[in-house]
Amino acid sequence: MQLEIVEDRVGDTLILAPVDRVDSSVARDFEEFVSNRLAEGNTSLVVDFARLGFISSAGMRVLLLAAKKLRAGGGSLLLCGMRDSIREIFSISGFDRIITICNSREEALAYEA
Amino acid sequence: MSHKFNVTLQAQLKELRTLAEMVEAFGAVHELPSRTTFIINLALDELITNILVHGAFDEGVEPTIEVELGLHNGTAVLTVESNDVEFDPTEDTNPDTESDLLARGIGGLGLHLVKSQASRSSYVYVNGKNRLTLEYDTP
Repeated sequence: MQLEIVEDRVGDTLILAPVDRVDSSVARDFEEFVSNRLAEGNTSLVVDFARLGFISSAGMRVLLLAAKKLRAGGGSLLLCGMRDSIREIFSISGFDRIITICNSREEALAYEA
Repeated sequence: MSHKFNVTLQAQLKELRTLAEMVEAFGAVHELPSRTTFIINLALDELITNILVHGAFDEGVEPTIEVELGLHNGTAVLTVESNDVEFDPTEDTNPDTESDLLARGIGGLGLHLVKSQASRSSYVYVNGKNRLTLEYDTP
């Protein structure tokens, strides 16, 4: 099973766009990927959900850990592009009160600027 | 009118994607709303992961998970049966949904999502198996 993540960079901001599914079977790969990008010194991170159809709590945990690391180091994590079903579970989880969620990548980048 | 599929899984996380494809196909054939298909797939991911990561199996027991998804008069009915030791996933998992970012934990969140998105849930331990039934009313 493969995890596909499309990467872009705009200025100092790294944008990660996971594709299709971040389920429990690839959550560990996702964690390692994000952890490596943070270890490289990226402090401004946007995760774009536009190409993501599914995420479970195992994937959400990776984002929570990344948000904590970035906040503790003075960096930032923004999420964007969520479809309604995913937005709903971020709301039930209360994640939308601790991690900023923007409607679009453009909005996220404007927020970072 | 009732339609359903049954599948017995060897207990491995890599089965999740195959199962998700079966649920997607079922949802497409029966024109289920995309939200319903999503939350059924989420429930399967959370429940199966919970069984495989946290479930305890008696010595010599081959971990087996049976999944059945049916549609009965507009209600999608998902049944997950597993042969791990008795565990009631409908009990409160007390997830932390309130703490500040740096203090936030994630334990219990998966099962909380499963329960909060189902219209009804019931659990029984019978014949050495945990059987959870989740019902999803469709609009």
